[in-house]
Order: sequence, then C-alpha cells, then structure tokens
Amino acid sequence: MSAQRKILIVEDDKDLVAALQIVLNEHGFEVVAAHDAPGGLAKAEAERPDLIVLDVMMPEATEGFHFVWTLRLREDEYFRSVPIIVISAIHQRTELRFYPESADGTYQAGEFLPVQGFIDKPVDPAELVREVQRQLGLAQGDER
Amino acid sequence: MPPVAEELAARVGWLIRLRWLAVVGVVCFLEISRRVFSLQLALQPLYLTITALAAYNLILTVIFRRLRHGQRDRAVRTPGRITRLLLAEPSADFAPPAEAFTAALFASVQIAIDLLFLALLLHFSGGIENPFILFFVFHVIVASILLSRLATFLCATLGLILVSAVAFSELYGILPHYPLHDALQAGAHGDPTVVAVELFVLASTLYLSAYLGSAIAGHLWKLAEKARLFEAAYQRASESERAKSQYMRKVAHELRGPVGTIQTELKVVLQGLAGNIPASLRELVARAEQRAGEVAQVTLDLLMLSRAREAPLEVEMMEVDPAELAAEVVRRLSGAAERAGVTLLPSIPRRLGTFRADPDGIRELLGNLLGNAIRYTPRGGRVEVRLAKREDGVHLEVEDTGIGIPRKELPRVFDEFYRASNAREVSAEGTGLGLAIVKAVAEQHGGRVTIDSDPGRGTLVVVDLPLELVRAKRI
Repeated sequence: MSAQRKILIVEDDKDLVAALQIVLNEHGFEVVAAHDAPGGLAKAEAERPDLIVLDVMMPEATEGFHFVWTLRLREDEYFRSVPIIVISAIHQRTELRFYPESADGTYQAGEFLPVQGFIDKPVDPAELVREVQRQLGLAQGDER
Repeated sequence: MPPVAEELAARVGWLIRLRWLAVVGVVCFLEISRRVFSLQLALQPLYLTITALAAYNLILTVIFRRLRHGQRDRAVRTPGRITRLLLAEPSADFAPPAEAFTAALFASVQIAIDLLFLALLLHFSGGIENPFILFFVFHVIVASILLSRLATFLCATLGLILVSAVAFSELYGILPHYPLHDALQAGAHGDPTVVAVELFVLASTLYLSAYLGSAIAGHLWKLAEKARLFEAAYQRASESERAKSQYMRKVAHELRGPVGTIQTELKVVLQGLAGNIPASLRELVARAEQRAGEVAQVTLDLLMLSRAREAPLEVEMMEVDPAELAAEVVRRLSGAAERAGVTLLPSIPRRLGTFRADPDGIRELLGNLLGNAIRYTPRGGRVEVRLAKREDGVHLEVEDTGIGIPRKELPRVFDEFYRASNAREVSAEGTGLGLAIVKAVAEQHGGRVTIDSDPGRGTLVVVDLPLELVRAKRI
C-alpha cells in the first residue's frame, strides 16, 4: 500500500473546494487547497502534490492559464510533469479555445495547454474521481 | 463629414460642374448666333467675359478640392449665426456643422459672382433687349436649392439690382449699348417705359421663383431632417438593444458560477459521498439538482443568445463544413431520438464544402432545431434534416411529424422565453430561448429563418445562411 496521494485544488469558489474535498477525502485522497494562482504556486512548491485540480477563471481573469505556464516552465522536473486537471466552463459556448475539438464532438486536452485532463463545470463528482484515478494510474478503489 | 455638410459640399460641386456647362453653352450660343443667325455681336468683350468665367471656375475647382480634403482632418469649428442665415435649414434649433458653414459661404459667394458675370454677358449682348435676361431666374432657383430662403431673396434682389444697373446705365448713356439685332426690340434700351416694364416683369419672375424654389427646397430639407431623425432613433434603438444584450450576458455569467457549484454540491449528496441519506430526502435533493440544471441551462442559453446578438464583431468566424457540424449534432441527438421513439432521418451530404461561419453558433442552431423537433414529436414519428448547398450559401430544413404550433402563435415563437401553449402541455423542459437563439445565430450570419406549422401534423423550419464559401468540396 503506497502513501496517501495528495491533491491540490486551485479554485476561487470556496464552496466548490469544500464539496470536492469531501468527494476526494471520501475516496482516500489528501486534499490541500488554494484560492488563487499565486497561492496555488506556493502550495504546489510547499506540498508537492501528486495531482493538481485547477480552475481557469479566478479573481484575476484567466489566472489558471498563467498558473499552468508558470509551473511548466520551471526547471524542476516535478513541476514539468505533475498531472493537472483543468475544471472549467469557459470552453462551453465562448470564443476562448485552448484545445482542439475532435471530430466526434469531444474535447481533447494537451495540444495547446500542457495539461492532462479537462472536466466541464458543473463538476460531476464521480467524473472527477474517475479522472483523478485515471491520471494517477489507480484502479477503482485503489487510492491508497 | 456630417451628412448635412456632405450634402451641401456635393451641391457646391454640382454648381461648379453646372458652370462648366454654362461656359460651353455660351460659346455654342455665340457661335450659333454668329454663324446661323448672323447676329452682329460684340464678340471680343463677350469672349473675354466667358474666358474670365472659365478661369474663375478653374480656380474654384482647385479651392473646392482643397477644402474637401482639408475638412477631413481639420478640427471642428463652431458655426455662427451667419451659417444659420445662409443655410437652407428649416429647424431653428439646428446647429449646423462647421463644414456646412464653409460650404454655404462658398456657394453664396459663387452665386453672387455668377450674377455679376451674367450681368456682364447681358450688357455685352443687348442689355434688356436680350431675351436671355430670364437666365437670372436659374440662379435664383440654384440659390433656393443650396441656400436659405433669406439668401435666395437676397440673390433675387442682387440680380435685379445688377440688371437695373445695366439697364439704367445704358438708358442714360453711362455705358455703351451693344445691340443684339435690329429686329429684337431694337432701341428698347433707350425707352424708359420699356425699361420699367422689363424690370417689373423680371422682378416679379425673380421673386416668385425665389418664393416657390425655397418653399420646395424647404420641404425637401424637412424630409431630409426627418430621415436623419429616424436614422438617429434607429441608432439609439440598436445601441440600447446591444446594452440590453450585454447586461443579459453579465447577469447570466454571474449566475453561472454559483449555480454550477450548487449542482456539484447536490451531486455530492446524491452520490452518497457525504454519507447516506434517507430516500425521501434523496428524492428532494434529486429534484433540487434537476431544477438547478434548468437554471444552468437558462444561463447557458442567455449567454449564447447575447453572444449571437452582439456579434459579428466579437465572434471569431472560422472555416467549417456545415455538413460535418450537422452530422455531429445528429450523432449527439440520436440517443435522445431513440429514447423518444422518434426516427431521425438525416439527408446530409458527406461534405458540403468549407464555409466561413461560427461553428459554436451553427452547432447551437442545429442542436436547438433538432432538439425541439425530437422533443415535440410523439413516439413513432419522424424528424427529417435536410442540408444542401445553394448558390448563395447553405440551405437547411428541419421537418417533423410533431404536435405543431398553433397558427396564431407562430409569429411569437422567436420571442425570448416564449413557449407555444401546446409545447408547455407536452413538456416541462425547454427554456423558451431555443428559437430565439436560432434566429439570432441565423441573423448573425446574415441569414433568415422561416417556420411553418400545421398543428397536429408537424412543423417545418427553413434556415437560409448566405455563408461565404472558402473551398468547394473535394471530389
């Protein structure tokens, strides 16, 4: 049994953080949270989480994008490779496109933004859990 | 340049072109008089005058061009009372633009100088004996078109003064008389009664022309002013529509975050992740989650609607194949159609060609039309989707065998939040924004939507989108 996996949630909506924390704790993950990009960067450095769940639109507009690029451009291999799952509603019916659409109408991550996954808002808790487990290479019920 | 000044400037240009015509006309007249009618005209002073007129018009042409160019970058000058007096402008509270002042002053000076030239030509060609004395009327008519009523009457008066000066100078021998022809009122210039009658006839003709001309011109200016007011009102209405749309978008945007969080929180409860809850409470939370979903749908629809209405500037058009988008939407909704027991019959070519359009908007348009058709078609019915390329863009038809729309409600189905009475009976779902979005997206692309329905038998929606073809399909 490996150590408990740590997940950093960077999201300005504290109620949403609380809800996601319940879900992730319930599935055996340890959760740390930050509510803006600078706080998120500091937490990432201090806590070295196994995965980051990131919101795009935060108090300073599209802080999430800035967060991703700041993190990925660092020398440390950890920051270049830590999996990031973006949770956002901005791709829905807006002109902001940060990844291409595949022909079957689904969304593919990674081509324009170096992240591993995308989840639409409103976040479906079960979907988040599935995605986190997939990114961490965990089978269902194999969190620890 | 403001429209009034632009109009005036155009007319001043017209005055200059008219003068070239006059120069040519006078030369032709002189030559015809000489060669055909054998009139003994004082050709030397007449040609001298006409040369001076031509030179003067050449200078005016240059000045006019400079003025027009200069006005484009010069700061706006405050127009004074003179502008208002000179301008043919019916409304008292009208503040004419600075450019209009220049144009009006320019026109007034020109007409005054033209009268002087005409008086000279008249003097060298028989004075009041010359039947062309009536040409003074034309100047008055030109003035009535370009200038105010006061300026027109001043022009008539100036013309009369000039003719009188010529007539009396010739009568009292101050100026020599250049006879036109023996048979044409020969000697009339020396008869005080004839001079007085001629001047009286001329005066009445000039003033009557001034009156009629400015009355007609005034009427036309009033119409132009009305058109301008309508234009301004239309502009204001468009701006307020845009402001409304922006407001709508802001509100929807603000609601979206909290509603999304509520949905997630309720899902956490429903999925038992926050502990087990009794079945009755679960049922309540499930309903709350569903209602939150409805609010989320309204906010999304409002965002889409405002986005389509505020475009085309804000929306990035892309190169898309509508056939691919339509196939994608059909695939997405095929599950819903199957569940509803409705047969989806797409008649969509594999490729239609690449067009310039907003893919998200087109997807929304298709999704709303197909979604509606499926939702309001009873089990066992069918929904046909036909997409074709036309000479001027793309033609789409969505036809169903559904409940239809009552005829008297048809004109309102594109209104925001409007749902037909029978639609409300059949389904609680639906924000009433779908067709408003369809219309907004179609209009955003310069197209239009028509809807025809037979209650109880079905509905046909036709969308014509004059999209720009980027690449024809590959064979």
